[in-house]
Amino acid sequence: MIEIRFHGRGGQGGVVASELLAQAAFLDGKIPQSFPFFGVERRGAPVTAYSRIDDRPIALRTSITAPHVVVVLDPGLLATERVTDGLKPGGLLLVNTTHAPETLAAPGGVRRAAVDATHIALAHGLGTAMLPIVNTAVLGALARATEVVSLEALSRAVEQFVPARPEENRLAARDGYLGVRTVDGTAGPSVPLPTSPRVAGPSLPEGPMASLSSERIHTAAWRTFTPVIHLDRCTKCNFCWKFCPDDAIEFDAVGFPKLRLEYCKGCGICAAECPPKTIEMVAEV
Amino acid sequence: MAKLTIPAQELMYPGHAACPGCGPALAMRLLLKGLGPRTLVSIPACCWTVIATPYPTTALRVGVLDNAIEATGASISGMRAAADALGLKDVNIVGFAGDGGTADIGLQALSGMLERRTNAIYVMYDNEAYMNTGIQRSGATPWGAWTTTTPVSPSLRGKPEPKKDIMGIVLAHRPTYAATLNPSFPEDFDRKVEHARDLTGPRFFHVFTPCPPGWRFDSAETIALGRLATDSGVFPLYEVEEGRLRITRKTGQLKPVSDYLSAQGRFRHLTPDDVARIQAQVTEDWERLLRREREEIVRSH
Repeated sequence: MIEIRFHGRGGQGGVVASELLAQAAFLDGKIPQSFPFFGVERRGAPVTAYSRIDDRPIALRTSITAPHVVVVLDPGLLATERVTDGLKPGGLLLVNTTHAPETLAAPGGVRRAAVDATHIALAHGLGTAMLPIVNTAVLGALARATEVVSLEALSRAVEQFVPARPEENRLAARDGYLGVRTVDGTAGPSVPLPTSPRVAGPSLPEGPMASLSSERIHTAAWRTFTPVIHLDRCTKCNFCWKFCPDDAIEFDAVGFPKLRLEYCKGCGICAAECPPKTIEMVAEV
Repeated sequence: MAKLTIPAQELMYPGHAACPGCGPALAMRLLLKGLGPRTLVSIPACCWTVIATPYPTTALRVGVLDNAIEATGASISGMRAAADALGLKDVNIVGFAGDGGTADIGLQALSGMLERRTNAIYVMYDNEAYMNTGIQRSGATPWGAWTTTTPVSPSLRGKPEPKKDIMGIVLAHRPTYAATLNPSFPEDFDRKVEHARDLTGPRFFHVFTPCPPGWRFDSAETIALGRLATDSGVFPLYEVEEGRLRITRKTGQLKPVSDYLSAQGRFRHLTPDDVARIQAQVTEDWERLLRREREEIVRSH
Protein backbone atom coordinates (compact mmCIF):
# COMPACT_ATOMS: atom_id res chain seq x y z
CA MET A 1 0.00 0.00 0.00
CA ILE A 2 1.20 3.49 -0.84
CA GLU A 3 0.10 6.44 1.28
CA ILE A 4 0.16 9.96 -0.14
CA ARG A 5 -0.49 13.25 1.64
CA PHE A 6 -1.37 16.47 -0.20
CA HIS A 7 -0.74 19.94 1.22
CA GLY A 8 -2.41 22.83 -0.56
CA ARG A 9 -4.53 25.90 -0.02
CA GLY A 10 -8.29 26.14 -0.09
CA GLY A 11 -9.35 26.78 -3.69
CA GLN A 12 -6.16 25.40 -5.23
CA GLY A 13 -7.53 21.95 -5.92
CA GLY A 14 -5.71 19.81 -3.35
CA VAL A 15 -8.79 17.85 -2.36
CA VAL A 16 -9.74 17.30 -5.99
CA ALA A 17 -6.15 16.20 -6.66
CA SER A 18 -6.42 13.39 -4.10
CA GLU A 19 -9.75 12.33 -5.63
CA LEU A 20 -8.45 12.43 -9.19
CA LEU A 21 -5.44 10.38 -8.19
CA ALA A 22 -7.76 7.78 -6.68
CA GLN A 23 -9.93 7.72 -9.83
CA ALA A 24 -6.83 7.27 -11.98
CA ALA A 25 -5.58 4.45 -9.76
CA PHE A 26 -8.97 2.77 -10.05
CA LEU A 27 -8.78 2.98 -13.84
CA ASP A 28 -5.37 1.31 -13.54
CA GLY A 29 -7.05 -1.60 -11.73
CA LYS A 30 -5.93 -0.63 -8.25
CA ILE A 31 -8.02 -0.13 -5.10
CA PRO A 32 -7.81 3.51 -4.04
CA GLN A 33 -9.00 5.66 -1.16
CA SER A 34 -9.21 9.43 -0.95
CA PHE A 35 -10.46 11.89 1.65
CA PRO A 36 -9.70 15.41 2.91
CA PHE A 37 -8.83 16.54 6.41
CA PHE A 38 -11.79 18.49 7.71
CA GLY A 39 -10.26 21.59 9.22
CA VAL A 40 -10.71 25.25 8.46
CA GLU A 41 -11.88 25.11 4.87
CA ARG A 42 -11.28 28.61 3.62
CA ARG A 43 -10.04 30.01 0.37
CA GLY A 44 -6.29 30.42 0.79
CA ALA A 45 -6.07 28.52 4.07
CA PRO A 46 -3.76 25.49 4.31
CA VAL A 47 -5.67 22.25 3.60
CA THR A 48 -4.61 18.61 3.72
CA ALA A 49 -5.94 15.65 1.75
CA TYR A 50 -4.99 11.98 1.63
CA SER A 51 -4.86 9.12 -0.86
CA ARG A 52 -4.13 5.42 -0.36
CA ILE A 53 -3.50 3.04 -3.23
CA ASP A 54 -3.24 -0.75 -2.94
CA ASP A 55 -3.82 -3.95 -4.92
CA ARG A 56 -6.21 -5.21 -2.24
CA PRO A 57 -9.18 -3.66 -0.44
CA ILE A 58 -8.03 -1.12 2.17
CA ALA A 59 -9.49 -1.52 5.65
CA LEU A 60 -7.61 1.42 7.15
CA ARG A 61 -9.74 4.57 7.57
CA THR A 62 -7.41 6.85 9.53
CA SER A 63 -5.65 9.99 8.36
CA ILE A 64 -2.10 9.51 7.10
CA THR A 65 0.66 10.42 9.55
CA ALA A 66 3.57 8.48 7.97
CA PRO A 67 3.19 8.92 4.21
CA HIS A 68 5.40 7.46 1.48
CA VAL A 69 4.80 10.57 -0.61
CA VAL A 70 4.14 14.19 0.31
CA VAL A 71 2.83 16.52 -2.39
CA VAL A 72 2.98 20.29 -1.79
CA LEU A 73 0.85 22.37 -4.15
CA ASP A 74 2.09 25.74 -2.91
CA PRO A 75 5.75 26.44 -2.07
CA GLY A 76 4.70 29.06 0.52
CA LEU A 77 3.50 26.22 2.73
CA LEU A 78 7.08 24.96 3.17
CA ALA A 79 7.75 27.92 5.46
CA THR A 80 4.64 27.60 7.59
CA GLU A 81 3.46 23.98 7.62
CA ARG A 82 5.38 20.94 8.80
CA VAL A 83 4.79 19.21 5.49
CA THR A 84 7.48 16.54 5.86
CA ASP A 85 6.28 15.34 9.28
CA GLY A 86 6.33 11.55 9.30
CA LEU A 87 7.58 11.23 5.71
CA LYS A 88 9.09 7.73 5.39
CA PRO A 89 12.79 7.16 4.59
CA GLY A 90 13.01 6.27 0.91
CA GLY A 91 9.86 8.32 0.32
CA LEU A 92 9.33 11.28 -1.96
CA LEU A 93 8.69 14.99 -1.46
CA LEU A 94 7.12 16.60 -4.55
CA VAL A 95 6.78 20.39 -4.54
CA ASN A 96 5.24 22.86 -6.97
CA THR A 97 8.11 25.35 -7.16
CA THR A 98 10.22 27.32 -9.60
CA HIS A 99 13.34 26.19 -7.73
CA ALA A 100 15.45 23.12 -8.46
CA PRO A 101 14.70 19.95 -6.47
CA GLU A 102 18.23 20.09 -4.98
CA THR A 103 17.19 23.16 -2.95
CA LEU A 104 14.29 21.40 -1.24
CA ALA A 105 14.74 20.58 2.41
CA ALA A 106 13.74 17.03 3.32
CA PRO A 107 14.70 14.40 5.89
CA GLY A 108 17.66 12.19 4.95
CA GLY A 109 17.00 9.47 2.41
CA VAL A 110 13.93 11.18 0.97
CA ARG A 111 13.86 11.73 -2.78
CA ARG A 112 12.90 15.24 -3.85
CA ALA A 113 11.01 16.33 -6.95
CA ALA A 114 10.14 19.78 -8.28
CA VAL A 115 7.70 20.91 -10.94
CA ASP A 116 6.69 24.45 -11.92
CA ALA A 117 2.99 23.66 -11.87
CA THR A 118 1.95 27.30 -11.41
CA HIS A 119 3.58 28.22 -14.71
CA ILE A 120 1.98 25.20 -16.43
CA ALA A 121 -1.48 25.97 -14.99
CA LEU A 122 -1.38 29.62 -16.04
CA ALA A 123 -0.09 28.66 -19.51
CA HIS A 124 -3.24 26.56 -19.92
CA GLY A 125 -5.51 29.25 -18.44
CA LEU A 126 -6.32 27.27 -15.28
CA GLY A 127 -7.23 29.61 -12.41
CA THR A 128 -5.88 33.13 -11.93
CA ALA A 129 -2.47 34.56 -11.02
CA MET A 130 -3.92 35.07 -7.52
CA LEU A 131 -5.11 31.48 -7.31
CA PRO A 132 -3.74 29.16 -10.03
CA ILE A 133 -5.36 25.73 -10.11
CA VAL A 134 -2.28 23.55 -10.15
CA ASN A 135 -3.66 20.16 -9.21
CA THR A 136 -3.60 18.44 -12.60
CA ALA A 137 -0.07 19.63 -13.43
CA VAL A 138 1.12 18.37 -10.05
CA LEU A 139 -0.60 15.01 -10.59
CA GLY A 140 1.20 14.64 -13.93
CA ALA A 141 4.48 15.20 -12.09
CA LEU A 142 3.44 12.72 -9.40
CA ALA A 143 2.66 10.05 -12.02
CA ARG A 144 6.18 10.40 -13.45
CA ALA A 145 8.05 10.67 -10.15
CA THR A 146 6.30 7.76 -8.38
CA GLU A 147 4.68 5.63 -11.09
CA VAL A 148 1.74 5.07 -8.71
CA VAL A 149 -0.53 5.72 -11.68
CA SER A 150 0.05 5.80 -15.42
CA LEU A 151 -0.23 9.03 -17.38
CA GLU A 152 -2.85 7.30 -19.54
CA ALA A 153 -5.08 6.52 -16.55
CA LEU A 154 -4.56 10.03 -15.18
CA SER A 155 -5.55 11.58 -18.53
CA ARG A 156 -8.70 9.43 -18.65
CA ALA A 157 -9.57 10.36 -15.05
CA VAL A 158 -9.16 14.04 -15.90
CA GLU A 159 -11.41 13.70 -18.96
CA GLN A 160 -14.09 11.88 -16.99
CA PHE A 161 -14.10 13.72 -13.70
CA VAL A 162 -12.83 17.27 -14.14
CA PRO A 163 -15.96 19.38 -14.69
CA ALA A 164 -14.32 22.48 -16.21
CA ARG A 165 -11.73 22.64 -19.01
CA PRO A 166 -10.93 18.91 -19.20
CA GLU A 167 -8.72 19.34 -22.27
CA GLU A 168 -6.59 22.10 -20.72
CA ASN A 169 -6.30 20.03 -17.55
CA ARG A 170 -5.23 16.96 -19.52
CA LEU A 171 -2.51 19.02 -21.23
CA ALA A 172 -1.43 20.45 -17.88
CA ALA A 173 -1.08 16.89 -16.50
CA ARG A 174 1.02 15.96 -19.53
CA ASP A 175 3.24 19.05 -19.11
CA GLY A 176 3.65 18.28 -15.40
CA TYR A 177 4.65 14.71 -16.34
CA LEU A 178 7.23 16.02 -18.79
CA GLY A 179 8.45 18.91 -16.63
CA VAL A 180 9.15 17.26 -13.27
CA ARG A 181 12.75 16.87 -12.08
CA THR A 182 13.70 14.37 -9.39
CA VAL A 183 16.89 13.99 -7.33
CA ASP A 184 17.79 11.27 -4.84
CA GLY A 185 17.90 11.73 -1.11
CA THR A 186 21.64 11.84 -0.51
CA ALA A 187 22.55 15.53 -0.55
CA GLY A 188 19.78 17.78 0.63
CA PRO A 189 19.80 20.69 3.04
CA SER A 190 18.69 19.72 6.51
CA VAL A 191 15.09 20.37 7.40
CA PRO A 192 14.41 23.63 9.18
CA LEU A 193 11.15 22.90 10.95
CA PRO A 194 8.97 25.99 10.78
CA THR A 195 7.61 27.36 14.00
CA SER A 196 4.20 25.88 13.69
CA PRO A 197 1.23 28.20 14.06
CA ARG A 198 -0.70 25.17 15.30
CA VAL A 199 -1.82 25.54 18.89
CA ALA A 200 -1.53 22.71 21.35
CA GLY A 201 -4.70 22.86 23.39
CA PRO A 202 -4.88 22.18 27.10
CA SER A 203 -7.20 19.45 28.32
CA LEU A 204 -10.81 20.56 28.61
CA PRO A 205 -11.06 23.26 31.28
CA GLU A 206 -13.95 23.82 33.65
CA GLY A 207 -14.08 27.53 32.83
CA PRO A 208 -14.37 29.13 29.42
CA MET A 209 -13.66 26.72 26.56
CA ALA A 210 -11.59 29.13 24.52
CA SER A 211 -9.60 31.64 26.49
CA LEU A 212 -6.57 32.19 24.27
CA SER A 213 -6.50 35.03 21.76
CA SER A 214 -6.54 34.13 18.08
CA GLU A 215 -3.63 36.57 17.74
CA ARG A 216 -1.35 33.58 18.26
CA ILE A 217 -2.56 32.15 14.95
CA HIS A 218 -0.63 33.76 12.13
CA THR A 219 -2.64 33.72 8.92
CA ALA A 220 0.13 35.08 6.71
CA ALA A 221 0.46 31.60 5.15
CA TRP A 222 -2.86 32.16 3.35
CA ARG A 223 -1.44 35.03 1.36
CA THR A 224 -0.35 34.84 -2.28
CA PHE A 225 -0.12 38.63 -2.77
CA THR A 226 1.29 41.12 -0.24
CA PRO A 227 0.23 44.76 0.09
CA VAL A 228 3.08 47.28 -0.10
CA ILE A 229 2.25 50.83 1.06
CA HIS A 230 4.11 53.68 -0.69
CA LEU A 231 4.06 56.13 2.19
CA ASP A 232 5.33 59.07 0.09
CA ARG A 233 1.87 59.34 -1.45
CA CYS A 234 -0.14 58.33 1.65
CA THR A 235 -2.60 60.99 2.85
CA LYS A 236 -3.28 59.24 6.20
CA CYS A 237 -6.97 58.95 5.29
CA ASN A 238 -7.32 55.66 7.27
CA PHE A 239 -9.40 53.95 4.56
CA CYS A 240 -7.08 50.91 4.55
CA TRP A 241 -7.48 50.55 8.31
CA LYS A 242 -11.22 51.15 8.25
CA PHE A 243 -12.01 48.45 5.70
CA CYS A 244 -9.55 45.71 6.75
CA PRO A 245 -11.53 42.56 7.68
CA ASP A 246 -8.47 41.07 9.39
CA ASP A 247 -7.48 43.95 11.69
CA ALA A 248 -4.09 43.69 9.97
CA ILE A 249 -3.39 47.43 9.77
CA GLU A 250 -2.32 49.67 12.63
CA PHE A 251 -0.75 53.13 12.81
CA ASP A 252 2.83 54.15 13.49
CA ALA A 253 3.79 56.97 15.85
CA VAL A 254 3.11 59.69 13.27
CA GLY A 255 -0.14 58.22 11.97
CA PHE A 256 0.98 56.35 8.87
CA PRO A 257 -0.63 52.95 8.32
CA LYS A 258 1.55 49.98 9.23
CA LEU A 259 0.87 46.43 8.08
CA ARG A 260 0.69 43.55 10.52
CA LEU A 261 1.93 41.12 7.92
CA GLU A 262 1.70 38.10 10.19
CA TYR A 263 -2.09 38.45 9.93
CA CYS A 264 -2.66 39.90 6.44
CA LYS A 265 -4.35 37.34 4.18
CA GLY A 266 -3.70 39.41 1.05
CA CYS A 267 -7.35 40.04 0.17
CA GLY A 268 -6.44 43.31 -1.60
CA ILE A 269 -9.26 45.42 -0.11
CA CYS A 270 -6.80 48.07 1.17
CA ALA A 271 -5.26 48.45 -2.29
CA ALA A 272 -8.67 48.64 -3.97
CA GLU A 273 -10.05 51.20 -1.51
CA CYS A 274 -6.98 53.46 -1.09
CA PRO A 275 -8.12 56.81 -2.59
CA PRO A 276 -4.66 57.95 -3.82
CA LYS A 277 -3.79 54.36 -4.86
CA THR A 278 -0.63 54.16 -2.76
CA ILE A 279 -0.98 50.45 -2.01
CA GLU A 280 0.33 47.87 -4.43
CA MET A 281 -0.33 44.12 -4.28
CA VAL A 282 2.94 42.29 -4.95
CA ALA A 283 3.11 38.55 -5.69
CA GLU A 284 4.76 36.46 -2.99
CA VAL A 285 7.76 34.50 -4.23
CA MET B 1 -3.20 61.44 11.57
CA ALA B 2 -6.58 62.36 10.23
CA LYS B 3 -9.39 62.13 12.74
CA LEU B 4 -10.87 58.64 12.91
CA THR B 5 -14.48 58.49 11.74
CA ILE B 6 -15.21 55.26 13.62
CA PRO B 7 -14.06 54.16 17.10
CA ALA B 8 -10.39 53.23 17.44
CA GLN B 9 -10.95 50.32 19.80
CA GLU B 10 -10.46 46.83 18.35
CA LEU B 11 -12.46 44.08 20.03
CA MET B 12 -11.98 41.53 17.26
CA TYR B 13 -8.55 39.92 17.26
CA PRO B 14 -6.66 39.19 14.06
CA GLY B 15 -5.70 35.58 13.37
CA HIS B 16 -9.33 34.57 12.92
CA ALA B 17 -10.29 32.01 10.30
CA ALA B 18 -12.40 34.09 7.89
CA CYS B 19 -11.71 33.91 4.15
CA PRO B 20 -9.70 36.77 2.61
CA GLY B 21 -12.01 39.73 1.95
CA CYS B 22 -14.75 38.37 4.24
CA GLY B 23 -17.75 40.71 4.60
CA PRO B 24 -18.99 39.08 7.85
CA ALA B 25 -15.52 39.54 9.43
CA LEU B 26 -15.59 43.27 8.76
CA ALA B 27 -19.19 43.45 10.01
CA MET B 28 -18.16 41.91 13.35
CA ARG B 29 -15.18 44.24 13.66
CA LEU B 30 -17.33 47.34 13.06
CA LEU B 31 -20.15 46.08 15.31
CA LEU B 32 -17.87 45.57 18.31
CA LYS B 33 -16.20 48.94 17.78
CA GLY B 34 -19.60 50.56 18.25
CA LEU B 35 -20.79 48.35 21.11
CA GLY B 36 -17.66 48.40 23.24
CA PRO B 37 -16.21 45.84 25.65
CA ARG B 38 -19.26 45.39 27.89
CA THR B 39 -20.82 43.03 25.38
CA LEU B 40 -21.74 39.35 25.38
CA VAL B 41 -22.31 37.67 22.02
CA SER B 42 -24.26 34.52 21.23
CA ILE B 43 -23.16 32.84 18.00
CA PRO B 44 -25.01 29.88 16.51
CA ALA B 45 -23.69 27.49 13.87
CA CYS B 46 -22.65 29.75 11.00
CA CYS B 47 -19.44 30.98 9.36
CA TRP B 48 -18.64 32.96 12.48
CA THR B 49 -18.55 29.85 14.71
CA VAL B 50 -15.64 28.65 12.64
CA ILE B 51 -14.11 32.10 12.22
CA ALA B 52 -14.08 32.90 15.92
CA THR B 53 -13.28 29.73 17.76
CA PRO B 54 -10.70 27.28 16.46
CA TYR B 55 -10.17 25.58 19.84
CA PRO B 56 -8.72 26.75 22.20
CA THR B 57 -8.63 30.28 20.76
CA THR B 58 -11.19 33.04 20.38
CA ALA B 59 -11.13 35.92 17.95
CA LEU B 60 -13.35 38.09 20.14
CA ARG B 61 -12.28 40.19 23.09
CA VAL B 62 -15.81 39.85 24.53
CA GLY B 63 -17.64 36.87 25.97
CA VAL B 64 -19.04 34.39 23.45
CA LEU B 65 -21.76 31.78 23.89
CA ASP B 66 -21.61 29.12 21.21
CA ASN B 67 -25.10 27.78 20.54
CA ALA B 68 -27.22 25.71 18.18
CA ILE B 69 -28.31 27.10 14.83
CA GLU B 70 -32.02 27.45 15.69
CA ALA B 71 -31.43 28.91 19.16
CA THR B 72 -29.98 32.42 18.82
CA GLY B 73 -33.16 34.29 19.75
CA ALA B 74 -33.89 32.01 22.71
CA SER B 75 -30.28 32.15 23.86
CA ILE B 76 -30.18 35.93 24.06
CA SER B 77 -33.46 35.99 25.98
CA GLY B 78 -31.80 33.60 28.45
CA MET B 79 -28.59 35.61 28.57
CA ARG B 80 -30.52 38.78 29.39
CA ALA B 81 -32.45 36.96 32.12
CA ALA B 82 -29.17 35.66 33.52
CA ALA B 83 -27.55 39.10 33.39
CA ASP B 84 -30.53 40.57 35.22
CA ALA B 85 -30.43 37.79 37.83
CA LEU B 86 -26.72 38.43 38.39
CA GLY B 87 -27.30 42.16 38.60
CA LEU B 88 -25.06 42.86 35.58
CA LYS B 89 -25.68 46.44 34.50
CA ASP B 90 -24.84 48.20 31.25
CA VAL B 91 -24.12 45.03 29.33
CA ASN B 92 -25.03 44.60 25.67
CA ILE B 93 -26.57 41.20 24.93
CA VAL B 94 -26.09 40.41 21.24
CA GLY B 95 -27.08 37.55 18.97
CA PHE B 96 -24.95 37.30 15.85
CA ALA B 97 -26.34 34.84 13.31
CA GLY B 98 -26.25 34.22 9.59
CA ASP B 99 -29.16 34.48 7.19
CA GLY B 100 -29.87 30.74 7.25
CA GLY B 101 -29.77 30.66 11.05
CA THR B 102 -32.08 33.68 11.20
CA ALA B 103 -34.51 33.81 8.29
CA ASP B 104 -34.88 30.01 8.02
CA ILE B 105 -33.79 27.78 10.89
CA GLY B 106 -33.81 30.33 13.72
CA LEU B 107 -36.97 32.20 12.69
CA GLN B 108 -39.21 30.99 15.53
CA ALA B 109 -36.57 31.82 18.16
CA LEU B 110 -36.10 35.28 16.63
CA SER B 111 -39.86 35.84 16.63
CA GLY B 112 -40.08 34.68 20.24
CA MET B 113 -37.28 36.99 21.35
CA LEU B 114 -38.91 39.97 19.60
CA GLU B 115 -42.36 39.11 20.97
CA ARG B 116 -41.00 38.72 24.52
CA ARG B 117 -39.52 42.21 24.08
CA THR B 118 -36.10 40.88 25.13
CA ASN B 119 -33.72 43.74 25.82
CA ALA B 120 -31.08 42.62 23.31
CA ILE B 121 -29.65 43.24 19.85
CA TYR B 122 -30.13 40.59 17.18
CA VAL B 123 -27.76 40.86 14.21
CA MET B 124 -28.42 38.93 11.02
CA TYR B 125 -25.33 39.05 8.83
CA ASP B 126 -26.60 38.25 5.38
CA ASN B 127 -24.25 36.50 2.95
CA GLU B 128 -27.32 35.18 1.15
CA ALA B 129 -26.72 31.43 1.43
CA TYR B 130 -25.44 28.70 3.77
CA MET B 131 -21.81 29.62 3.10
CA ASN B 132 -20.13 27.74 5.95
CA THR B 133 -21.32 24.40 4.61
CA GLY B 134 -20.59 25.14 0.97
CA ILE B 135 -22.93 27.71 -0.64
CA GLN B 136 -26.36 26.05 -0.30
CA ARG B 137 -29.35 28.32 -0.99
CA SER B 138 -31.19 29.87 1.95
CA GLY B 139 -34.41 31.81 2.25
CA ALA B 140 -32.28 34.94 1.92
CA THR B 141 -30.69 33.92 -1.38
CA PRO B 142 -31.95 36.32 -4.07
CA TRP B 143 -33.92 35.26 -7.14
CA GLY B 144 -31.75 33.97 -9.97
CA ALA B 145 -28.58 33.47 -7.88
CA TRP B 146 -26.46 30.40 -8.51
CA THR B 147 -25.75 28.26 -5.45
CA THR B 148 -24.67 24.62 -5.21
CA THR B 149 -28.30 23.64 -4.59
CA THR B 150 -29.75 26.02 -7.20
CA PRO B 151 -27.37 25.20 -10.05
CA VAL B 152 -27.50 26.56 -13.56
CA SER B 153 -28.67 23.70 -15.77
CA PRO B 154 -31.11 23.14 -18.64
CA SER B 155 -33.96 22.83 -16.10
CA LEU B 156 -32.92 25.49 -13.56
CA ARG B 157 -31.30 28.92 -13.84
CA GLY B 158 -30.31 29.73 -10.29
CA LYS B 159 -32.79 30.17 -7.45
CA PRO B 160 -36.38 30.24 -8.72
CA GLU B 161 -37.82 31.93 -5.60
CA PRO B 162 -37.34 35.52 -4.42
CA LYS B 163 -35.44 36.60 -1.29
CA LYS B 164 -37.32 36.44 2.00
CA ASP B 165 -38.16 39.89 3.41
CA ILE B 166 -36.62 39.53 6.87
CA MET B 167 -37.01 43.24 7.69
CA GLY B 168 -40.74 42.96 6.92
CA ILE B 169 -41.01 39.97 9.28
CA VAL B 170 -39.07 41.75 12.03
CA LEU B 171 -40.98 45.04 11.66
CA ALA B 172 -44.27 43.16 12.00
CA HIS B 173 -43.14 42.53 15.61
CA ARG B 174 -42.78 46.30 16.17
CA PRO B 175 -39.27 46.22 17.66
CA THR B 176 -37.74 49.18 19.48
CA TYR B 177 -35.33 49.71 16.63
CA ALA B 178 -34.48 47.97 13.35
CA ALA B 179 -32.00 49.02 10.71
CA THR B 180 -30.14 47.84 7.62
CA LEU B 181 -26.35 48.15 7.85
CA ASN B 182 -23.59 47.80 5.28
CA PRO B 183 -19.86 47.66 6.17
CA SER B 184 -19.09 49.57 2.98
CA PHE B 185 -20.51 52.60 4.82
CA PRO B 186 -18.66 52.37 8.18
CA GLU B 187 -19.80 55.75 9.52
CA ASP B 188 -23.50 55.00 8.91
CA PHE B 189 -22.90 51.49 10.32
CA ASP B 190 -21.29 52.85 13.48
CA ARG B 191 -23.89 55.56 14.04
CA LYS B 192 -26.70 52.98 13.96
CA VAL B 193 -24.84 50.61 16.28
CA GLU B 194 -24.08 53.33 18.84
CA HIS B 195 -27.65 54.64 18.64
CA ALA B 196 -29.20 51.20 19.11
CA ARG B 197 -26.74 50.37 21.91
CA ASP B 198 -28.27 53.10 24.08
CA LEU B 199 -31.88 52.03 23.52
CA THR B 200 -33.79 49.45 25.56
CA GLY B 201 -35.87 46.61 24.14
CA PRO B 202 -35.58 44.32 21.12
CA ARG B 203 -33.34 45.71 18.40
CA PHE B 204 -32.49 44.17 15.02
CA PHE B 205 -29.77 44.77 12.43
CA HIS B 206 -29.92 43.36 8.92
CA VAL B 207 -26.27 43.53 7.78
CA PHE B 208 -25.22 43.14 4.17
CA THR B 209 -22.06 41.00 4.03
CA PRO B 210 -20.59 40.07 0.62
CA CYS B 211 -18.95 36.63 0.38
CA PRO B 212 -16.15 36.44 -2.24
CA PRO B 213 -16.07 32.61 -2.63
CA GLY B 214 -19.85 32.21 -2.47
CA TRP B 215 -20.80 35.08 -4.75
CA ARG B 216 -17.87 34.51 -7.08
CA PHE B 217 -16.00 37.81 -7.06
CA ASP B 218 -12.45 38.91 -6.28
CA SER B 219 -11.76 39.39 -2.56
CA ALA B 220 -10.47 42.94 -3.17
CA GLU B 221 -13.94 44.00 -4.39
CA THR B 222 -15.90 43.36 -1.17
CA ILE B 223 -16.27 47.04 -0.26
CA ALA B 224 -16.94 48.23 -3.81
CA LEU B 225 -19.60 45.57 -4.29
CA GLY B 226 -21.30 46.52 -1.02
CA ARG B 227 -21.37 50.14 -2.14
CA LEU B 228 -22.97 49.10 -5.44
CA ALA B 229 -25.62 47.06 -3.61
CA THR B 230 -26.81 50.11 -1.70
CA ASP B 231 -26.42 52.65 -4.48
CA SER B 232 -28.34 50.45 -6.94
CA GLY B 233 -31.21 50.04 -4.45
CA VAL B 234 -30.63 46.28 -4.03
CA PHE B 235 -29.78 46.85 -0.34
CA PRO B 236 -31.09 50.28 0.74
CA LEU B 237 -29.90 51.70 4.05
CA TYR B 238 -32.68 52.72 6.43
CA GLU B 239 -33.74 52.56 10.06
CA VAL B 240 -37.09 52.23 11.78
CA GLU B 241 -37.62 53.61 15.28
CA GLU B 242 -40.92 54.20 17.05
CA GLY B 243 -42.60 53.17 13.81
CA ARG B 244 -40.88 55.94 11.80
CA LEU B 245 -38.86 54.86 8.77
CA ARG B 246 -35.91 56.94 7.69
CA ILE B 247 -33.68 56.23 4.69
CA THR B 248 -30.08 56.96 5.72
CA ARG B 249 -28.45 57.05 2.30
CA LYS B 250 -29.93 58.61 -0.82
CA THR B 251 -27.88 59.44 -3.87
CA GLY B 252 -30.57 61.01 -6.04
CA GLN B 253 -30.38 58.55 -8.88
CA LEU B 254 -30.08 54.79 -8.32
CA LYS B 255 -27.37 53.01 -10.28
CA PRO B 256 -28.58 50.26 -12.63
CA VAL B 257 -28.78 46.85 -10.92
CA SER B 258 -26.85 45.41 -13.87
CA ASP B 259 -23.73 47.12 -12.43
CA TYR B 260 -24.21 45.13 -9.23
CA LEU B 261 -25.21 41.84 -10.87
CA SER B 262 -22.48 41.76 -13.51
CA ALA B 263 -19.78 42.10 -10.83
CA GLN B 264 -20.60 38.61 -9.48
CA GLY B 265 -20.17 35.15 -10.96
CA ARG B 266 -23.33 33.86 -9.25
CA PHE B 267 -25.42 36.00 -11.64
CA ARG B 268 -23.33 35.39 -14.77
CA HIS B 269 -26.02 33.27 -16.46
CA LEU B 270 -28.77 35.92 -16.22
CA THR B 271 -30.35 37.01 -19.51
CA PRO B 272 -31.23 40.65 -20.29
CA ASP B 273 -34.86 39.72 -19.50
CA ASP B 274 -33.81 38.37 -16.11
CA VAL B 275 -31.90 41.56 -15.34
CA ALA B 276 -34.91 43.67 -16.42
CA ARG B 277 -37.12 41.66 -14.09
CA ILE B 278 -34.78 42.24 -11.15
CA GLN B 279 -34.48 45.93 -12.04
CA ALA B 280 -38.29 46.29 -12.04
CA GLN B 281 -38.53 44.64 -8.60
CA VAL B 282 -35.73 46.77 -7.12
CA THR B 283 -37.26 50.00 -8.48
CA GLU B 284 -40.67 49.05 -7.12
CA ASP B 285 -39.26 48.21 -3.68
CA TRP B 286 -37.28 51.47 -3.57
CA GLU B 287 -40.35 53.52 -4.44
CA ARG B 288 -42.34 51.71 -1.74
CA LEU B 289 -39.58 52.55 0.73
CA LEU B 290 -39.72 56.23 -0.27
CA ARG B 291 -43.50 56.21 0.22
CA ARG B 292 -43.17 54.57 3.63
CA GLU B 293 -40.64 57.16 4.69
CA ARG B 294 -43.24 59.84 4.02
CA GLU B 295 -45.96 58.28 6.13
CA GLU B 296 -46.07 57.30 9.77
CA ILE B 297 -46.43 53.55 10.08
CA VAL B 298 -47.80 51.58 13.01
CA ARG B 299 -46.24 52.87 16.20
CA SER B 300 -44.00 50.76 18.38
CA HIS B 301 -45.13 49.66 21.80
